[in-house]
Amino acid sequence: MIYKKDANFPYPVLTNTSNSYESGGFMLNVNLKENTDTYRFDIEYEVESDFLKQLIARKQAQLFLIIQSKDNKFFKLQPDERAIEIAKSRLSINTRTSIQMSIQATTNISFRDNEDINDFYQEFKNDIVVPKHALLGFSNTVIFEGSSTKPFDLFERKIDATLKSDIKVELGSEMIVIHYKNEDLQFTGMPMSGTLNNPYIYMGLQKALHRFATNPEYGEDGHVYLDDVELPTDQLDAKLYRLMKAKMVYELDVDSLDEVIYKISDRVIEKYATAVKGLEASGD
Amino acid sequence: MEIKLLNKSYKKNEQFYNDFLNDTIENNDDYFTDEIVYIKEAPDFPIYMAKRSEEVRKQLFLEAFETVGNHYLDSNRELHFDEQFWHSLLVLKKRDFLLREYPEITESITNFNNIVLKNFDWENYIYKTVIGAEYITDLVEDEAKRKYYNEVIVDNLDLYNYMIKYEVFRNKQFVFNILSIVDELELSSVLKKKITWRDDLGDDPRVGRQVLLEFNKAYPVVMSPMLEKEELKEIFMEYLGYYVEDADLKVLV
Repeated sequence: MIYKKDANFPYPVLTNTSNSYESGGFMLNVNLKENTDTYRFDIEYEVESDFLKQLIARKQAQLFLIIQSKDNKFFKLQPDERAIEIAKSRLSINTRTSIQMSIQATTNISFRDNEDINDFYQEFKNDIVVPKHALLGFSNTVIFEGSSTKPFDLFERKIDATLKSDIKVELGSEMIVIHYKNEDLQFTGMPMSGTLNNPYIYMGLQKALHRFATNPEYGEDGHVYLDDVELPTDQLDAKLYRLMKAKMVYELDVDSLDEVIYKISDRVIEKYATAVKGLEASGD
Repeated sequence: MEIKLLNKSYKKNEQFYNDFLNDTIENNDDYFTDEIVYIKEAPDFPIYMAKRSEEVRKQLFLEAFETVGNHYLDSNRELHFDEQFWHSLLVLKKRDFLLREYPEITESITNFNNIVLKNFDWENYIYKTVIGAEYITDLVEDEAKRKYYNEVIVDNLDLYNYMIKYEVFRNKQFVFNILSIVDELELSSVLKKKITWRDDLGDDPRVGRQVLLEFNKAYPVVMSPMLEKEELKEIFMEYLGYYVEDADLKVLV
């Protein structure tokens, strides 16, 4: 339903990977927002062909947004439409969800005046007539592997033997990723191994909150008043934002990051200390 | 209602089957994840329709569509399309109902797996029901009309199954449009016909499936799932003409 590979078409199709068109492509970017009941997809796209843009404006071609999860949903998009809302009872994005845009011919289209296609097609474009109902172009696919409905799932652990340091804390698109050079560094197999990793959790939170506090979109001079900030579109920032709001944090400041971590992190350091004392007591 | 979710260990597990028969699953923590889901209500509905007479099967389906349409579609969709949720609900909350309605599950683990723990895909009766009930509930407002379209699905089950099996067709509007065309032009019996006059079409070719196959082959040069019903109808008749004599069609239209 959604095209991921280049299919063979008997006529030029605008995509980001095919070279039927001289330059340009069909870029799609989607931001997901949500509340308790609804998902909202904010859409940015660019059809980089004047020929196709004109067809769309003249209604000789129709833009579609396709959302594929358990089944397929199609939305006819008006050229100025930039958002789609769907009830959570009608769409699941905790399973892999793919989103793509496509352009469909609503009438037979002669390519005679198409100046955007490549030289190969230019020679016989007078003979190209794409039938009504056919696909004229499709965008890249945007994939969601889950929504941000679980704001407390902040961390991901990975092993990377090629690391130039013992651990590396990285801010991913939705997660704080802690890379370990080897499994031993996670205290695997030891009692309380989860809790023994808490200092890394602390470091990850520090890094992520520092980035949040210094983002000029949210505040000034490393100081953020959370009530003045809308839900960030960045998924990781959105999780931190929700978490802070849920934990009644109202301000974030580069100088007070530790206090904020204390409020949001459910006693990570205390638990760590208890675990270490426990190990000492048991003679381990 | 609170439902503890089973972890994956329950599948094809003889001990689990015995524990189900002995009613000792709920207190065994080994079978569960930490996750609990909450749903408002979970009334009984038929979950398995095979091996019944056509008339009985139809009634069971209609009952299932109605119950699911009225009571199960308000939760987040990830829940009502979640295999673990359904299996957990059946095993934990519907044991008496299952033993009463499907006594054959006590005969063998095969029957149990096939009826209660069936994979949640287009062959699963709950899946068929959830997706059909959702499509009809969303597209048809009038209660009596809903019932009517539910019947259209059951009367054209072969075609419906074929549509929800294939990704390219698994779309609310397309499924509804095709069923409406079939109903409007009274094509049901023609589409069910076995094609005996061609031997190049594989096992058990039927007219309806072949017409859908033509749609599949033509995609995306014919982006059929996105078409309006009237546009779709023209192409439908064209493809039907590949398999049915013109003279037969004229009688129909």
